[in-house]
Amino acid sequence: MDELQDRSRDIGPFVAQPDDDMIVCRCEEVTKGEIRKAVHEGLYTIPEIRRFLRCGMGLCQGQTCAKLVKSIVARELKVSPAVLEPATSRSPMRPIEMHVFADEKEDDE
Amino acid sequence: MKSADVVVIGAGIIGSASAYYLAKAGYKVIVLEKADVIGDGGSSRNGGGVRQSGRDPRELPLAMYGIENLWPTLSEELGYDVEYCKKGNLRLGKTEKHLKTLQGLTDRAVAVGLDVRMIDGDEVRQINPYLSKEVIGASWCPTDGHANPLKATLAFYMAARRLGVRYYTGETVKCLKKEHGVLRYVETNDEIFAADHVVLAAGYASRAIAGTVDLDIPMVTRLVECLVTEMEPKMFEQMLGTAEADFYGHQTRHGSFVMGGSSGYELYKKDNGTPINSSTTVPCIARGICRYVPLLSDAKIVRAWAGWTDVMSDGVPVIDTVEEVPGLVLACGFSGHGFGIAPAVGAVVKNLVAGEKTVCDISGLKYDRFYAKDVVA
Amino acid sequence: MKIKRFDLIVVGAGPSGLSAAIEAAKSGLKTVVFDENARPGGQLFKQIHKFFGSKEHKAKIRGFHIGEQLLKEADEAGVEVVLNATVIGLYQDHEVVVRLGEEVHHYKADAVLIATGAAENMVLFDGWTLPGVMGAGAAQTLMNLYGVKPGNRVLMLGSGNVGLVVSYQLLQAGCQVVALVDAAPKIGGYGVHAAKVARTGVPFYLSHTIKTVEGEDHVTGVTIAQVDNHFQFIEGTEKHFDVDTVCVAVGLSPMSQLMKMAGCAMEDNPKRGGQVPLLDEYGMTSVPGVFSAGDVSGIEEASSAMIEGRMAGTAIAEYLGFITKEERDRNLEALNNSLSGLRQGMFAPANRGKDIKETEEGIPISQNLLHHGFVTDEEIMRFPGVTHQDRIHPVIECTQNIPCNPCQDACHIHCIKIGDKITQLPAVDTTKTCINCGMCVASCPGQAIFLVNEDEGDGTATVTLPYEFLPLPEVGAKGKALSRSGQPLCDAEVTQVRTAPAFDSTALLTMKVPKEYAMRARFFKA
Repeated sequence: MDELQDRSRDIGPFVAQPDDDMIVCRCEEVTKGEIRKAVHEGLYTIPEIRRFLRCGMGLCQGQTCAKLVKSIVARELKVSPAVLEPATSRSPMRPIEMHVFADEKEDDE
Repeated sequence: MKSADVVVIGAGIIGSASAYYLAKAGYKVIVLEKADVIGDGGSSRNGGGVRQSGRDPRELPLAMYGIENLWPTLSEELGYDVEYCKKGNLRLGKTEKHLKTLQGLTDRAVAVGLDVRMIDGDEVRQINPYLSKEVIGASWCPTDGHANPLKATLAFYMAARRLGVRYYTGETVKCLKKEHGVLRYVETNDEIFAADHVVLAAGYASRAIAGTVDLDIPMVTRLVECLVTEMEPKMFEQMLGTAEADFYGHQTRHGSFVMGGSSGYELYKKDNGTPINSSTTVPCIARGICRYVPLLSDAKIVRAWAGWTDVMSDGVPVIDTVEEVPGLVLACGFSGHGFGIAPAVGAVVKNLVAGEKTVCDISGLKYDRFYAKDVVA
Repeated sequence: MKIKRFDLIVVGAGPSGLSAAIEAAKSGLKTVVFDENARPGGQLFKQIHKFFGSKEHKAKIRGFHIGEQLLKEADEAGVEVVLNATVIGLYQDHEVVVRLGEEVHHYKADAVLIATGAAENMVLFDGWTLPGVMGAGAAQTLMNLYGVKPGNRVLMLGSGNVGLVVSYQLLQAGCQVVALVDAAPKIGGYGVHAAKVARTGVPFYLSHTIKTVEGEDHVTGVTIAQVDNHFQFIEGTEKHFDVDTVCVAVGLSPMSQLMKMAGCAMEDNPKRGGQVPLLDEYGMTSVPGVFSAGDVSGIEEASSAMIEGRMAGTAIAEYLGFITKEERDRNLEALNNSLSGLRQGMFAPANRGKDIKETEEGIPISQNLLHHGFVTDEEIMRFPGVTHQDRIHPVIECTQNIPCNPCQDACHIHCIKIGDKITQLPAVDTTKTCINCGMCVASCPGQAIFLVNEDEGDGTATVTLPYEFLPLPEVGAKGKALSRSGQPLCDAEVTQVRTAPAFDSTALLTMKVPKEYAMRARFFKA
């Protein structure tokens, strides 16, 4: 069983830090402190952090903050960022208006 | 070997709600999850409806009990805001045929005591002025609503964890094992867990796990897909659905719209190992939305997701103990509408483990309903 | 719905995508390239500097010219390049959904190549969300694509090649670069790139990083401070700068989301920049028929991306039965040789993170260059490109082994020798007589070659240097000669300004200085 599987593993208490109010995800305005706190409440994976806090769920879909969030979560868990599976990549790859995605056209040939 | 009073298989909202109410009643609980992520199945991949209208009468008591007794105080109870919003459900119709369908659903719900009624197009637009003129009527259930399934699922998990429930992710259950005729062990890929009770709440995977003690739960998978828009100004609070089932959804507290629908091929989608969207469903949903809520045509879709639901042969779950396998509690087969009833299911599972009278009637959800149809007329 | 089918769909019209499409189309594949941008070429059209390498790598050609060449080649090969075409997703069965204008189209292909490149990383510091903080690549886009000055006073964070090159381009655009800052103890990019920035007077602060960026609704200032070995701030080392812009050049991350969406097996590989697909030896992902090339499969630079693209195009042509295995292998061998030519020297991927103390020739590396951005007057004398002669001669201040050799080809007199190993330091042959043609000066992508006559006989010396700033000083203009560190040394007078088509927009500025400054004066400031 690897270290991330036991969700009651002791990772130490949440200790407030002076830069906890720094915004990490600017699309959804999620702070470093919120992310760190969520880890200590048991959210050990990137999808859980995203789903609970919405970081990486805005217009840019985490293009800017994904790596930053990952390193913050990894540091709280005391693991390498590389062991944290990133969030699923989902279509559409770029934001697209509802009426555009609705308008499927054939190519003439 | 690790042991507990109860082992729950599946860390979705059903498993976590069960674990929460069990732990609250003093049981020592272990939850096993095959995925690395808590609530990664249908719990995080649903439209967030907390509704009674449109439900099969067999599961309606669970829906009504939950809305009456659990949802209103759930955020307080768990310590996290689950964004429950009880502002009604409109099921929309555009044709006379639609209205007939809606009338049928309404009549059946009224018969079991639900406050739901048919309203005309004008009244629909009084409730929700954003709906197009094409809508000629709807069924209206003012006590329905919605919540945030991502948050609610994780809130049950975090609250259960706070009560001492131990969660293990990445644990794939290989088999259930009896001892002296009583279910006793759960074997996973790397560990054996012992318990007096096992709750099977593993979605479609429940079928294979139940098979290891020679039970079968007749279900198939279906791919549901939803789209999510960017944050929009607050427009309306009702849950929307349609008689045609071409779209459903709501605006979240955050401002984004989460909306699903169908392409008609949901039962036949190929599984490539990752639950990703098909190329054609989201455009279908988008077309549906544009016709019912024209103002959303310019809303930007930022994300779409897909998830496999476990669809029972008769469309309602199994929530039951099983005589042949003492110690086992089944809670699976939610058929794509388990989220809204999840807190009530958690409470009922606790009743079943404790051998108590259930808080509401679940007699229509028994396991043995698949055995013999009534052969004697 | 009818779905149009291609042999190959390429996503991304950057260096690797276009190169792959060219190679595939030449082998007869019906090939289309989709790119979300209004202009093709990916990052190439932002690259106004000359590229390193050898002739086969298009060395000494400016990036945007390479882009133009690729586009022409793609057109001739019959590649269909569709611009403003945003790929929405890569679905099952090689289905690509593309946004074109106000509608979406579905396409399929027997093979799909993902060449979507990379995006800039960010780093957290107090004030990082203030308007005026931007990626170095964003600043480059503003300047070189849209002709917009990103700001007036800029601080650059990051001393890799991107940070160095963009700092220089900011100077070219008329911005003031107040400091170049990096938390690492050593400069990450090519020494020659650092040196051309340092000699204009930009100070380097290694082992420093940004503490706070100040401002109410936009950047008005920045405070940096020194960090210790654990990247913790050392109290009392704060330095403040008034700036309106902070550029961040802290690396790139592959934009590999399409492949992850398609179910390709991925790995988190810090050496390749983050989430990258697992590829077989032919560049194919775990999903049969889905290939990947360029930065999206591992951050390198445009020159290697172009070769990787050619390799992918060749591999795909064979995969779909358009060429034989033998043809493929022959092609790949040549491309592999070319690629390994680029992946040599101090900055080769294999040497990343290594502390290299000596050049391949056994010469100690200039420590001052690594820590301050310039080689000291004493250190410079130990390199083979630097000689004393009693007539005009090239002085080549190229002190690190990088794969680059245009200077050798530029000199028809054969004054300059690199040899067969492309990473060797250029050496000046004192037995050959320099004819002052200036080709070496203009051809050096690192702007590291000067023509020096140490004694004109009247107590002065002349120094000819590459000059890429506008307006060009006029002959007779008086100003100051700056040292390698950008410090004013002495008065200087411009005696000649040469431009020529063969110099490709690099002007050769000759200045007269007192002869004792012949080997120290390396920049002219009016």
